[in-house]
Amino acid sequence: MIELEHIRKTYSRPTGETVEALADVSLRIEQGELVAIVGTSGSGKSTLLNVLGLLDRPTAGRYLFESREVEGLDVRAQARFRNEKIGFVFQAFHLMPRTSALANVELPLIYSSRASVDGLGLKALEAVGLSDRVHHLPSELSGGQQQRVAIARALVNEPELILADEPTGNLDSQSARDVMDIFRALSDAGRSIVIVTHDPAIAAQAERVIRIERGRIVADDRVATSAHLEEAR
Amino acid sequence: MNGTRMLAQSLGSLRRYKLRSAFMMLGSFVGVAALTLAVSLGEGMQAKVMRTVRQVLGESSVIVVGGGGRLMGTPRANAARLTIDDVAAVVKEVPGIEDWDPQAELSRTAVKRGELSATVRLLGDSERWQRVWGRGVSRGEDFDASAVNGSARVAIIGETVAHAVFPDADPIGAEILIGAVPFRVIGVLERFGVDMHGMDRDNEIVVPITTLMRRLSNADAIGAAKLLVTEPSAANETAKQVAGALRRRHSLDRDQPDDFVIVTALQAQEMVSKVRRVLLLYVPLASGVILLVGGIVAAALMLGSVSERVGEIGLRRAVGALPSDIRRQFVVETAITVVIGGVAGIAAAYLILGVVAMHVDIGLMFSWKAVVTGVVSSAVTGALAGVIPARRAAMLEPAVALR
Repeated sequence: MIELEHIRKTYSRPTGETVEALADVSLRIEQGELVAIVGTSGSGKSTLLNVLGLLDRPTAGRYLFESREVEGLDVRAQARFRNEKIGFVFQAFHLMPRTSALANVELPLIYSSRASVDGLGLKALEAVGLSDRVHHLPSELSGGQQQRVAIARALVNEPELILADEPTGNLDSQSARDVMDIFRALSDAGRSIVIVTHDPAIAAQAERVIRIERGRIVADDRVATSAHLEEAR
Repeated sequence: MNGTRMLAQSLGSLRRYKLRSAFMMLGSFVGVAALTLAVSLGEGMQAKVMRTVRQVLGESSVIVVGGGGRLMGTPRANAARLTIDDVAAVVKEVPGIEDWDPQAELSRTAVKRGELSATVRLLGDSERWQRVWGRGVSRGEDFDASAVNGSARVAIIGETVAHAVFPDADPIGAEILIGAVPFRVIGVLERFGVDMHGMDRDNEIVVPITTLMRRLSNADAIGAAKLLVTEPSAANETAKQVAGALRRRHSLDRDQPDDFVIVTALQAQEMVSKVRRVLLLYVPLASGVILLVGGIVAAALMLGSVSERVGEIGLRRAVGALPSDIRRQFVVETAITVVIGGVAGIAAAYLILGVVAMHVDIGLMFSWKAVVTGVVSSAVTGALAGVIPARRAAMLEPAVALR
C-alpha cells in the first residue's frame, strides 16, 4: 500500500553543516500491517514518521501511497490527503484543554470536505471504548483514556494509515497494553499502523520491527504474529 | 474550513482562555466606551442646542446686543449706547425687517410677596415680545401698547416664580414687589425649561420695557433687540445692513470697532458646530490611542498564545488544516475577542449615559452612528492585532510544532 523509494532527508544546521536524517530509505508497508520502527534518539525514526505522514518533505526519493505519488503534491492537496488518509497519535496526546472528548475527536472533521460528519465522533469514541466519557474534559480523564481519545481522533475520518509517535511513552504499563490492544484490533480490521517506539516491549507486540540507525534501515524483521503474541502472554 | 466552524472554533478558544481574552478586551472596552460617550453626547448636545437656538433665535432672526467686543467676553465697552430709538431708526432704514422687539434685562432682581421672596431674571419688552420671541402667556393676559407707552406696573411671571411666591394661591391679579416697586401680576409665561446655558427660563418675569427702564433701572440704554427678517435666507445680509446703519447712527469712524454685536441663528449654529467638532476630534483621537494601545496588548497576548498553543497548531495542521486556515483562525479569534470588548464598551457607555440622563438633561439619544463606529473600529483593531500572531502561527512547520 505504501512504498518509499530511496528517500533522503537532509537538514542544514544554523552553523552551516548538513545533517542527514534519512539516508536512502526504501520501504514497503502492506495494508493491515502493524509495524514498529525502533532506534535510538536521533536515529531518524521520527523523521521517517514525519515523511510518511506528509508532515515533512523528503529531500529526494519517491513516496507512493496506494500507487499514487504524493511527495510532490502541493500544500492544499497534502493537507487534504492527511485529513482523509492518515491518522496521527502523539506521545503528548495533543488534546485541546478545556474541550470535551467529543469535540477533540471531531477536530479533524472541521477541516474535512465530507458532506455529512454526523455521528462519526461518537462512533470513533465507541471504537476505543470511551462511549461513557463523551463529554468529559481531558483533565477529567486518565492518561490512558486521554490517549484513547487521541486515537479516536485519529480514527474519526476512517483513514487507511495510522502513524503513532511513542504512543505509550507517557503511559503506565496497563494503559500501554490497552492502547496496543486497540492498535492490534485496528490492524486486524485492515488498517496499516506504524508505531515509532524505543520500548522493546511495545515493539515486540508488532508484526514487523524495522530498526533504524543513523538514517538507514539496518534490520527489518517479521517476528511476531498475533497468534504468536497470544502464546507469549 | 467554512465560516460557521471557524466562528465556533474561535469562540471555543475564547472560552478556553478566559483571562487572556479578558485582558485582550480591556483596550477596546475602554476605547470604544469613550468613543461612544463622545459621539452620543456630541449628537445629543448638538440636537439639544439646535433646539434651543431655534427656540431663542428662530431661523429668521437677527439679534443686536449692545456693547462692543466679543459676545461672551466681559466687560464690554460702551454697553450703554444702544437705545430703542437706534433700533427703531435702523428698522425703518433697512428693508426686509418684519417685526422687532427691544429688550432690557435686570439679571438678579428680588421679588417679594409678603414673607415669600425669589430672585429672578427681569426682562423688559415691548408689546410685540410674544410674536418676536416666540413665547406666549399660558394663563391670564398679555400687556398691550398702551401699557408700554404708559409704563404700566404689570408683570407676566414664569412658572418657577409663581411656584416660589404663590405656592398655593392664584397669582393672576395679585400684587408683588419687584425691587421696591409694586406690580400687578396679569399673566403666567409659557413653560420653557432650562436653556443651553443651564438657565431656568421659567424663573423670569416680563414687564413693559419702559416700566423697567424708568421705574427700576433708570437707564436709557437697552440690552438687546431682536429683529425678525421676512426672508430667512437673507438674515446674514440683513445683519450686515443693520450693522452699517448702526455704525452710521453711532458716528463710528472706519478705524473704530463696533459698539454692538450682531448674532444670527446661522452664526450660533456655526458656534455650536465648532464646539462639537472639537469634541468629535479630540475624544476620538484619545479613543484611537487607547484602541491602539489595546490593539498592541491584544497582539502581544495573542503572540504569547501562539507560542503556548504550538502543539494545537501542529495538530491542526496534521489533521488537515491549511496554513491559511490557521491564519484565519487566529485573526478571527483576535478580532472577535476585541469586538466583544468593544460591544461591552458600547453597552457600558449607554449604561453610564442612561444613569446620568436620569439626573441631568443631556439630551440623550441612542446613536446608531456611535454603535457602528464602535463595532467597526474595534473590528479593525482586532483584525490588525491578529495579523502578526496569525502569520507566526501559520508559518509554523507542522513537524516542528509537534516535536
